[in-house]
Formats: sequence, structure tokens, C-alpha cells
Amino acid sequence: MDMQHFNQMLLASIGVGLAVVDVISHEILFTNPLFATWFPVPENGPRKISCVLGITDLNDLVERDGCFQSDVQVKIKRRTLTIAVNITQSKNTSDGHSVLLVECSNISKIKELEYMIESYAKLVEKNERQLRREKERAEKMLLNVMPKAIYEELKSYGVTTPVLYNEVSVLMLDFVGFTEMTVSSDPTALVSELNDIFTAFDRIVEQFGCERIKTMGDAYMAVSGLPDPTTNHAQNIARAAILFRRYIRQRNKFSKVSWNCRIGVATGTVIGSMIGVQKYVYDIFGPGVNLAARLEALSEPMEITVCETTAGLIADDFNVEMVQDTDVKGFGTQKIFKLARDVDKPISHDLPGYLAALSV
Amino acid sequence: MTTLFEKYGGFAVISRIVHSYYDKVLDSDQIGDYFESLDMKPLIEHQTKFIASLMGGPASFSNDMLKRVHAGLNISRADFDAVADLLQEALFEHNVEQEDVNSILREIESRSPVIISS
Repeated sequence: MDMQHFNQMLLASIGVGLAVVDVISHEILFTNPLFATWFPVPENGPRKISCVLGITDLNDLVERDGCFQSDVQVKIKRRTLTIAVNITQSKNTSDGHSVLLVECSNISKIKELEYMIESYAKLVEKNERQLRREKERAEKMLLNVMPKAIYEELKSYGVTTPVLYNEVSVLMLDFVGFTEMTVSSDPTALVSELNDIFTAFDRIVEQFGCERIKTMGDAYMAVSGLPDPTTNHAQNIARAAILFRRYIRQRNKFSKVSWNCRIGVATGTVIGSMIGVQKYVYDIFGPGVNLAARLEALSEPMEITVCETTAGLIADDFNVEMVQDTDVKGFGTQKIFKLARDVDKPISHDLPGYLAALSV
Repeated sequence: MTTLFEKYGGFAVISRIVHSYYDKVLDSDQIGDYFESLDMKPLIEHQTKFIASLMGGPASFSNDMLKRVHAGLNISRADFDAVADLLQEALFEHNVEQEDVNSILREIESRSPVIISS
């Protein structure tokens, strides 16, 4: 096979449409078969490359890296193809003439794939957004049943270990005569009020850096000093207790139902742990919890009863009054105290502004 | 259980099947004219997702959507069958097993009431 024949075969078989164009007249001098399929050159009509390509002028083509480029749409039977046209000037023909070399490639498939990739990228993005939203929602739900630090531990390790906290302060609250209220009042309205009250308590608890552990029926339990230890856990919980009582008092002025709470506060040792596998919840146990529960039961309506340890810790900041030596089940005889009035002693320390409300 | 979508290599392969399928569709004298001078890009994209969904891949199309997009096209039973045949050819060309081809075609057949409108 001679070289010329080989070249001809090559030109006929490659997947690129080729045309050679006179640099001055822009007349087409040569086309390979593929080029002719996409851009038929009329026998007797104009043979200018711009007419054949269906562009008004070669000047319309975009110049990039010394060659002209454009995407041209052609319709072959029912198909609309996108052809990338690339025109370069070739200087080295044998007779010294310059010609323009027109290379055309069918990029329809690439365009279709580009479109598809874009569409999938959007789909993925959308799914990811949805997932993120779901995750945030799940996280928020979980943070309702466990402290953030415990949630982080669970997330990182898949398990949590029970932790012993030597000194935390626990608050227990419940309502006097709630069981009777449930039968005498409209249950929907009652639950809705209880929901309001506990929501307000949650806000107060958060304000003082305490943790709401759980509610059980009309009972509410909060703690200060875990999972992150703090030195003024007793003060924090006492402030929360005082605000709980104030909130109930204020509410009773306007509410049809009169609520009377009992509050017990104790400082002691507790264990904090996740309980359950499928339905899990963070809970605390131990003497601190039990004593708070006992004191709450011993409390008079609308009183805050505190144990001796708590009383000792808060005596400088709050007005604590000793009630009497009392036999507390499981704890023997204990000195018990009550937080006499909301706050009697002026709070001299640099307390945050929100505590100003207490200094009335 | 692996889905057909996973078995045959996911979107990459399905995209190739869909390309062959549309090549056949455009060459077909029975139904090619439906596709004349349409922008094929969105069609190919939708069809890839549709076939993927039939094969248990990620994407879903409700019958309502299918009904809406085919409404007013006056697609006959013969047109529907012609398209199904071409899809079958394309699936075979990409080495999808007979049993799996049948299951895909059954899925499509079950949607024929919302696609055929004349």
C-alpha cells in the first residue's frame, strides 16, 4: 500500500470531520467523507466554509489559543448533533500557500453526559441537604433526652460509660394534688398547662447551666454539676428552684387552675448513665437523687426544702432557715432547711443581669 | 439482596443502555418521529433515571408523573410495543440476562395504562 492510499483511507475512516479551506477566499478545497455527512458541500452553490457551517462569518468564531472554535448544531435525519468546530491555520503546505484546517468532532454524547452529570450532582446535593436536615432533627431529639456531652460521647464511641459524680445538686419538683386535678379538670387543658410550665422550667434550667434530667407525670427533675463539674452547682440549682416557684406564683395570679409545687433540693453523690438499648434515656441515680426526692415529699406546698449540705453551700447567698431535725427515710435524722424567701440577701457579687430579677 | 441496578454496574452501564436505546428509537420509522427535533439531553437523563428506578436504583417516578409527561402524545399500543422491543434489544446488547430483561419489561408493561393514550 503506498503512502497516498494509506492517507486517503485514514482520512476517510477517522471519527473526525476534516476540511481544508483556502485562507484568502475561504473556499473549501477538500473535505473528508465524515465532514460531508455533517456539512454537505453544494456542487454548484457557494463553497465558502461559513455558508457550509451555517455561520455568518468566520469572525463569529471564538478565538482561543490561536485557533477558532465554535459548537455548531446540525440535523441529520431526526437527530440534532452538536459538532465542535476547530479551525487552525496551517502554514507549511508544499507550494507555500497557507490553508485553514477545519476539524469537526461530534460532541453530542459528551453534551448529553454533561447534562446528566449536572442533573445527578443536583440530585446528590438535594439528598445530602435532606440527610443533613434529618440528622439535625434527630440530634435535636436526642439532646432532649441526654446532655450534650453524653450525646457527643455516644456519637463518637457508640457507647457511654456510667460516671460517678461526687458532688452535684439535684432538684425534684412535683405538684400537690395533681392526681385529683387530672380527674377534676379537662385533661387536655391540664396537660397543655403542664406542658407550658415544664417548658418554662426548661428555659430556667438552661439559663442557670443546669440539666433537665426527666419529667415523670407531674414530677420534674433537674441537676447541676454534671456532666461538666461546676463549683457553684448548689447556687445554680437554688436559683432555678427560686425561679420555678416565682414562675408558678406569677402564673397562679392569672390562671384558672391553681398550681402548688413542692421542691426538694439535695447535694450528694450520683451516677449518671444512659439506660436502655432501643429506647434509651439518660438518667441519674444515687443518694443525691433519693434525698432530693425525700425532701420534696417532706416539703410544704410552695416551699423549697434543702438538705444540710446544700444549705451550707448556699448560706452566703441565700436566706436559708432551718426547719427542724427530721427523720428522713433511708438517711436517718437530718437537719433540713428551707429557702425562706425568694432572695433576702442582696447579691453583691458580679452576677449576670438576668439575676437582677431575683433581687426584688 | 443486590438490585439489578447494582448487578449491572449502576448508572454508568444504564447510561450506555439508554444511549443505545435512543439510537434505535431515532432510527425507528414507527416511533422515531415522536422524537424528531426534541432536545435529547433531558430525555436521556430522565430515561436513565427511569430505567435505573425500574432496576431498583435510586430515583423514583410515580405513575402520575408518567401519565403527565405522556399525556397528549397519542401513544398507541403498537408504539408502546415498538419502544419496548427496542429497549429489549438495547438490554440484550449490553449483556443483560434474559430473566432480568423479562423482569424489566414486566415493570414497564405494568405502567402501560398510564403511557398509552389512544
